[in-house]
Amino acid sequence: MTKQTPHPSPEVVRLGTVEDMRKRIRSKSKLKGRQPEDAAVHEVHDLLGEGPFARDMLIEYLHRLNDHFRCLHDRHLVALAKALRIGMAEVFEVATFYHHFEVLRGDAQPSAVTVRVCDGLSCELAGAKDLLARLPAILGRPDVRVIAAPCIGRCEQAPAAVVDQNPVPFATAERVAAAVQTHACAHPSAAQDADFDAAALSEKPISPASADVQVAPAYVGLQAYVAQGGYQLATALSQGKADAENIIKAMEDSGLRGLGGAGFPAGRKWRIVRDQPAPKLMAVNIDEGEPGTFKDRTYLERDPHRFLEGMLVAAQVVGIDACYIYLRDEYHGCRAILEHEIAVLQANPPCPLPAIYLRRGAGAYICGEESAMIESIEGKRGEPRMRPPYIAQVGLFGRPTLEHNFETLYWVRDIVQKGPQWFSSFGRNGRKGLRSFSVSGRVKHPGVKLAPAGISLRELVDEYCGGMADGHSLYAYLPGGASGGILPASMADIALDFDTLQPHGCFIGSAAVIVLGDKDKARDAALNMMRFFAHESCGQCTPCRVGTDKAATLMQAAHWDHETLEDLNIVMTDASICGLGQAAPNPVRCVQKYFPQEVA
Amino acid sequence: MNAPTKLSEVTLKTIEFKLDAQTIHAYKGETIFKAAKRHGVDIPHLCYKDGYRVDGNCRACVVEIKGERTLAPSCCRSATEGMEVQAQSERAVKSQKMVLEMLLSDMPDTGYKWNDAVSSGAAATGEGPGALGRERNAAPGPSPDAAGAMVGQHGELTDWVQRMGVSVRPALKALRREQPAPDFSHPAMAVNLDASFNATAASVRVGKSRSTTSLATPCADRTAKLCLICMTRWATAAAWPAANACKPALPARSCLRRKWARK
Repeated sequence: MTKQTPHPSPEVVRLGTVEDMRKRIRSKSKLKGRQPEDAAVHEVHDLLGEGPFARDMLIEYLHRLNDHFRCLHDRHLVALAKALRIGMAEVFEVATFYHHFEVLRGDAQPSAVTVRVCDGLSCELAGAKDLLARLPAILGRPDVRVIAAPCIGRCEQAPAAVVDQNPVPFATAERVAAAVQTHACAHPSAAQDADFDAAALSEKPISPASADVQVAPAYVGLQAYVAQGGYQLATALSQGKADAENIIKAMEDSGLRGLGGAGFPAGRKWRIVRDQPAPKLMAVNIDEGEPGTFKDRTYLERDPHRFLEGMLVAAQVVGIDACYIYLRDEYHGCRAILEHEIAVLQANPPCPLPAIYLRRGAGAYICGEESAMIESIEGKRGEPRMRPPYIAQVGLFGRPTLEHNFETLYWVRDIVQKGPQWFSSFGRNGRKGLRSFSVSGRVKHPGVKLAPAGISLRELVDEYCGGMADGHSLYAYLPGGASGGILPASMADIALDFDTLQPHGCFIGSAAVIVLGDKDKARDAALNMMRFFAHESCGQCTPCRVGTDKAATLMQAAHWDHETLEDLNIVMTDASICGLGQAAPNPVRCVQKYFPQEVA
Repeated sequence: MNAPTKLSEVTLKTIEFKLDAQTIHAYKGETIFKAAKRHGVDIPHLCYKDGYRVDGNCRACVVEIKGERTLAPSCCRSATEGMEVQAQSERAVKSQKMVLEMLLSDMPDTGYKWNDAVSSGAAATGEGPGALGRERNAAPGPSPDAAGAMVGQHGELTDWVQRMGVSVRPALKALRREQPAPDFSHPAMAVNLDASFNATAASVRVGKSRSTTSLATPCADRTAKLCLICMTRWATAAAWPAANACKPALPARSCLRRKWARK
């Protein structure tokens, strides 16, 4: 904008009559900007109370509005911005980032019921597309919204659907219709009389057989957990009877690595954060969103206190002031359990407790990325941060932060009490430790399998899954969910563990194993994954935002444009901010390398 | 007391690092980008502008740092002692050019902005910014005017595309995004949402999202405080003074910045 030169022949633009313009002049007494309506302000305050309101609770407030009104009306967003004393745009940009929030303008009405059909790879293999196509006609109700949803973490129950908050395992159009008709929209509640000890199930399947799958299995309550020696470790530590240094040593000796996917040695992480200045915070990642992963849910809905004790032990050893637990919104049953059990624990603390906050995700895969999760806990859009600084130094609310995946903390008590050698005594093919494989796809018995690290895919399928599903023979497998790549059956004897798959362009990540049979195509799996990435990219950086979208379109062609795809692969791997973009090319490259006949 | 007593206490500390073939100095905490610029190396950049918050998300300024797995954005990475940076290595340039190509592939054929570097001649002929208001230049592609300046371009994006010798391959051109409709509702500005991309953080997410104004309402209905900073700073001229509008007052804060929806 340098010089404003007059147009050679200026057009006369009629803006209105003098009377019109007079009406448009703002009265000086009127505030600038869009002002909230009184009715909306009352509705917001009725739901959220009179305050004071905290900025970092924005997503929780939006949840309360969204649950109550079944959507977010724009008038409520304006009122909420006013209550929080922040810009309306700030509320709007957060509300529109998360898939589970539906922002409606004006008087638009939300649908009466929302049916989400999982279109993750395992559910797609089990017929989710057909279900999605047939459901609207079978339901025959325009007020019921049927939408596809990215992986909801019930891959062993594929195809899975959710009616509002009520999951329907092994969904058929009829079962979903029945749930809608009876208005069964809430997650069933779970009993507390379970007898479950994961360590006793070492080298065994954890999930029940398909016929015995329950949406809300019974779990081990506080009393039962304490009766089995629970919270003795946390109590001993707080009373000085157990030594923090010995516990860190045990963690290091066990070789336990972060089980969320990155595999950073847990003991070393504790040491790094322990040496940081106080106050320090902990963030627990239960945003289990990697397609094919359901291990955290499986443990959490059966044995929540073993995890809570691990968290308390870590908090004491590292010197944590407050723990934030971030749970994905899809896990409504787990949320009810955690809310209840944390309250019970706080009412009857076995040892001095740090502040514990349970935060609810709102439907965004990217929030499983450690720094995006921190942004989300702070009530913002889940956009990954640039590193350095690392979150161990500058994390949640700018404080040094210990971030752990749920399962990493779940094993703390067993490792310390049984000794590090208990954990490291397991293992095959030269690897050490236990891994919880979430197996789904074309196997006879899908589910979580607590198997030795280093087991091969062939051993895993044969020994733990009862072999391939009837009518299918092994063709390919995904060793680590969407981003871990795809390997052919000829490579089914490689040890599955951290570091063993990198030479083949793959990684194990959260050990989400999806098995493909001879009737499936690797290219279809890769396309499903790339569409997922394009849907879930936060949109912050160019390589990932544009790259995943363009690649997903290019991959639909019968013959791939390898040159363009490879250029997109390079820029995504090299220049994306976070792991989503950096790993998105893995399935593409694997198809090009191991299944060239499918895309030639 | 706290007052400095020696000259060394007030002089900025410098560190030495390697940039491509040369060894250069940077002030402590200074970004690679700024240090390089002081030494005459101009790294491509779009979302970066001196005086604005550094976002580091256009990724046009990525450089290769020895020992790091991925490339790093030079606009928000501080140089450290002994760091070995390559801004012009084959790997760094590959990504820099790809970012430009990806962004350009989604732009309309004709942009809204003239090329800053050569625009002074254009203004005199009446083909300059004054003519580009509510209506897009009718020419189908960038058209040289009498003075040889290019109009109907994409501002800094076009500038860097030309300097780096980037062109959009047909395969990507064929996948151009569906363009969002412009917002001409406001009497003082035109918002050309098709000219926006995420690089200035006021943005678009290809596919499911679009760049938008607050609450996705037209600018005129928004009745927000109108600062019009978006007109002074948008790499591709997404917001532009409407024809015959008065010149904007001093910018206070951006009203379009970071107001965008994902769905």
